[in-house]
Amino acid sequence: MTPTLHILLAICLAPALALVLLLIPSRARSLREALAVVAATANLGLVATTFGQQSRIELPWLGTSFDLSLRVYHTASFVTTAAAGFGLLVTLYSLPFMRKHSAHGAHYALMLLSLGMANGAVFSNNLLLLLFFWEGLLGTTYGMIAIGHAGAFKTATKALIISGITDLCLMLGIALVWAQAHTLTMTNLRLPLEGMAPAAFVLLMIGAISKGGSMPFHSWIPDAAVDAPTPFMAFLPASIEKLLGIYLLSRLALDLFELTPQSWLSTLMMVVGSVTILLAVLMALIQKDYKRLLSFHAVSQVGYMILGIGTAVPIGIVGGLFHMINHAMYKSCLFLTGGAVERQAGSTDLASLGGIGRKMPITFACFIVAAASISGVPPFNGFFSKELVYDGALERGTIFYLVAVAGSFLTAASFLKLGHAAFLGPRDKKNDGVREAPGAMLFPMLVIAGFCIFFGVNNAFPIDQLIVPMLPEHLIAEARSAGTHFSGWPSNPTLVAMTAAALLGALINHGFGVKLYGSGLHAADHIHDSPGLRWVYDRAERRWFDPYELFMRGSAYFAQAANKIDRANDWLVVGLGRLAQFASRGVRAAHTGNTSAYIVWSLIAATFIVIYLGQ
Amino acid sequence: MLTLFVLVPLLVLLLLNISWRALPRIVPQAAVLVLGFADVVFGLALPTLPVNSEIPVLSELHFGLVADDLTRVFLVSIGLVICAAAFVNQESMTTERAHRNFCSLLLVSLIGMNGAVLLSDFFSLYVFLEVTAIASFILIAIERGIFAVEGAFRYLLLSAVAAMFMLTGVGLMVFTIGDTTFSAVHESLTIANGSPLLLKMAVGIFIIGLFIKGGLVPFHGWLPGAYSSAPPGVSVLLAGIVTKVSGIYALVRIAQDVLVSDPSLSMILLVAGSASIVVGAIAAIGQSDLKRMLAYSSISQVGYIVIALGAGTELGIVAATFHLFNHAIFKSLLFVDSASVESRLGTTDMGKMGGIGAKMPWTGTTTGIAMLSAAGIPPFSGFWSKLLIVLALWKAGREGFAILAVVASVLTLGYFMVMQHRAFFGKPSTQLDSVKEASAGYVVPAVVFALITVLTGVFFPLLKDSPLSFLLLNKGLSW
Repeated sequence: MTPTLHILLAICLAPALALVLLLIPSRARSLREALAVVAATANLGLVATTFGQQSRIELPWLGTSFDLSLRVYHTASFVTTAAAGFGLLVTLYSLPFMRKHSAHGAHYALMLLSLGMANGAVFSNNLLLLLFFWEGLLGTTYGMIAIGHAGAFKTATKALIISGITDLCLMLGIALVWAQAHTLTMTNLRLPLEGMAPAAFVLLMIGAISKGGSMPFHSWIPDAAVDAPTPFMAFLPASIEKLLGIYLLSRLALDLFELTPQSWLSTLMMVVGSVTILLAVLMALIQKDYKRLLSFHAVSQVGYMILGIGTAVPIGIVGGLFHMINHAMYKSCLFLTGGAVERQAGSTDLASLGGIGRKMPITFACFIVAAASISGVPPFNGFFSKELVYDGALERGTIFYLVAVAGSFLTAASFLKLGHAAFLGPRDKKNDGVREAPGAMLFPMLVIAGFCIFFGVNNAFPIDQLIVPMLPEHLIAEARSAGTHFSGWPSNPTLVAMTAAALLGALINHGFGVKLYGSGLHAADHIHDSPGLRWVYDRAERRWFDPYELFMRGSAYFAQAANKIDRANDWLVVGLGRLAQFASRGVRAAHTGNTSAYIVWSLIAATFIVIYLGQ
Repeated sequence: MLTLFVLVPLLVLLLLNISWRALPRIVPQAAVLVLGFADVVFGLALPTLPVNSEIPVLSELHFGLVADDLTRVFLVSIGLVICAAAFVNQESMTTERAHRNFCSLLLVSLIGMNGAVLLSDFFSLYVFLEVTAIASFILIAIERGIFAVEGAFRYLLLSAVAAMFMLTGVGLMVFTIGDTTFSAVHESLTIANGSPLLLKMAVGIFIIGLFIKGGLVPFHGWLPGAYSSAPPGVSVLLAGIVTKVSGIYALVRIAQDVLVSDPSLSMILLVAGSASIVVGAIAAIGQSDLKRMLAYSSISQVGYIVIALGAGTELGIVAATFHLFNHAIFKSLLFVDSASVESRLGTTDMGKMGGIGAKMPWTGTTTGIAMLSAAGIPPFSGFWSKLLIVLALWKAGREGFAILAVVASVLTLGYFMVMQHRAFFGKPSTQLDSVKEASAGYVVPAVVFALITVLTGVFFPLLKDSPLSFLLLNKGLSW
């Protein structure tokens, strides 16, 4: 197979099969499922075999500079393979989960379409082409949320509007890049951060981190967690969108622009990352719904990646990228456990769960592994990537490091609460009949949990074989000359000790909370009720800080103002009509039919004319 | 040669009246149609005809003939409206006798109008206007209804006042320069050592007479009664062409050939024009009688023509002439349609109509076209002439009057919407169940005029370079 055919097939095969899948009638659900699994497997095979290849495909189009330019290289192979892997696992997971869903076919078709779009976006070597696939994903995101329950289209619209606006920023950024460099071919771009380039960087960054789900573009994710089918959450916001967003961010920071640690843009990214870590985890802590709690972590964790890449030092970047793949694994695993609980226990409301760990031991075990990973417990994968990010953040400023550790503390606290509330503690009577999830759902969880352990214990493989080759040569050389080791046990024992202290603190805090309130569900309530925070929390729950809600409220005022103007307009028109009628009555009254009067009018006017002419 | 425009109708008139008892009804009707049609054809083909400019009748006064593009526009308009009036009359006149009389008077009117637009001096203009006027008095009262007689009498009285002014003006001209031809008056006004003030006063006094004949506010008192009380065919004739020839033609002629770009004339025209536009439109809004509303609408539209002349530029004259042509078409069309409605419903009270558009589709549609054209909605011809009027005013530095013209066209749309709403739209009431479309005598001229309006509007951009460019007076204007 030629490289051209290979890569085109990787982009087009899954969407083509998605269209075929839509033709299958809903009676033949098994056929649809079989096709979806085959397509996802083929997709994984196609992109996994690009590993090690290096090729460029140029398809000139319309004689413009907008060439259909594709590029196969290590980073693209890695990101697409990861995406394809999650695609296949979520497809398998969907088999039992989506079996009775009314939008059965649409779900699989949209998943396959998303996979094709993701491959296209990552293999694109032209920013406009990337934008095309990026927007395509926007469409599938909308569709996959909208097929949730009856009211889900509102959340889908919210996602569409937020992502649409940030994609517009991306588009403007691309235009600025064109204005600056007169090329959109990514391999030819290496813009120094001067002139309009910082503006272009910020706009492109908005597009990237919004896809990653960073604050302040995150607010649709918690809503989608409640409204959309759970596989969607594990598939797009937890894994593929993170992969794509961080992929683009890393391309921006590593090769499209000359980003240095001295640049204010680096600091900006670190600030965005830190703020996202802290605020999102604070919101996660107080959630009372399994999936909604997870979704705030999906936001919070992207902060670590932005923070890591934003440091612009090799160790931070490696940490950020490693965290990207780790997060995709444990977060999708967590969503999958959430879906399993939802399917088996019929609810994700933590108040009605509890004590089902015994009934669903494998799910609970997978949850423990993934939760330990996300909290940064050694020797799971999250621990190692977080340590790398801490190292980079400490190099740039203590405050960033402290925020990151505080985030870890709160993450651990919230997962202690979640695990306690969902799986341990007293069991409600109605949950007595809960059984373990079916094998097709357990298998993906187990595979991902296994990878969480494997990437942690044997972190040399992913870091040295997958992550470090993503860095440009000069950064690798810089790290080598400084003698930095990315893989293996963290080199700075102080940082490890701090992490251990934070985790221990979270455990003590949890114990304190349980003692205070007597249940795992309310273990974090003392943080919720602490003075100052309570005020903020109350308003956050009322969506005071949701930019989308603010925007919508603003547009409501705008609509009211427009209505007022409209009414005023009506009033004026109706008033003018009345005035005309009134004047008409006056004029008619003057026309009495008295011929003498008419003659007198004429003579008076004639007199005026004669006088005027005589002047 | 041009004298035949007067002599042939005169001859036909005499022949018809010598032997009318023996002739079937169709003959006078056909004669009017043929002569009217001849006006249109010769109007279109006039440049090929030889012009004999001097007629030695009296040694003291010079009589001359003009045959320029302005004349052609009027000849075409006269011919079209005469034909429409004859069609409508054929349908509406009940008695044989009234019909024959009508045809004869129509020929008198034709003679008067043809003469008025062909002659080139104030005195003969006055004479032929009086011929037209006398025909009109009788035509209005031809069915001897009480309102018609009252309307005719009022018209007669105000016409007498107008005649007084016009004759005074002519007398002053003879007194000052001994000549009344347009060119002589123009020359005397432009040379410095004459007595321009008195001569200008003479023209001004003549213009007052024209204002009365044209029905401009505040000289319009006779007009609504005369239009609305006249028989249907006469309304078409009066509103479509008679008042335009009697009042407006001479104003255009004066603005084009006599008082060229005169500031005081411009001001008088602007004031009289805007007063007519506003008062006519406002009065039209409140009317409940269809024909009366159309009469006030005529006053308003004539105001547009006069205000365009007030711009005092060539573009203004072109705009005025073109609007006059358009007005002749759409206002005749509206009166033809009102005659259709009257023929079926026996009334012109809009309160008794409602939804007849559904019962009389041709009438309703053509009324809609005429109304949109009158209100200046593209792509109908009225849009272009109103556009030219506004442009002419704006370019002449009369921005205020331009804005007034635009705003008042909203009023125009307003009263026509009121009319459409009350008369043609909506659900027909059960009393109107038996109403059918009007007979062909009404529908044919309505459709022809509607086609003229639509085609002139749609192909207006091509008009300048077409054989019909005389409608824009061949001035080769750019706007």
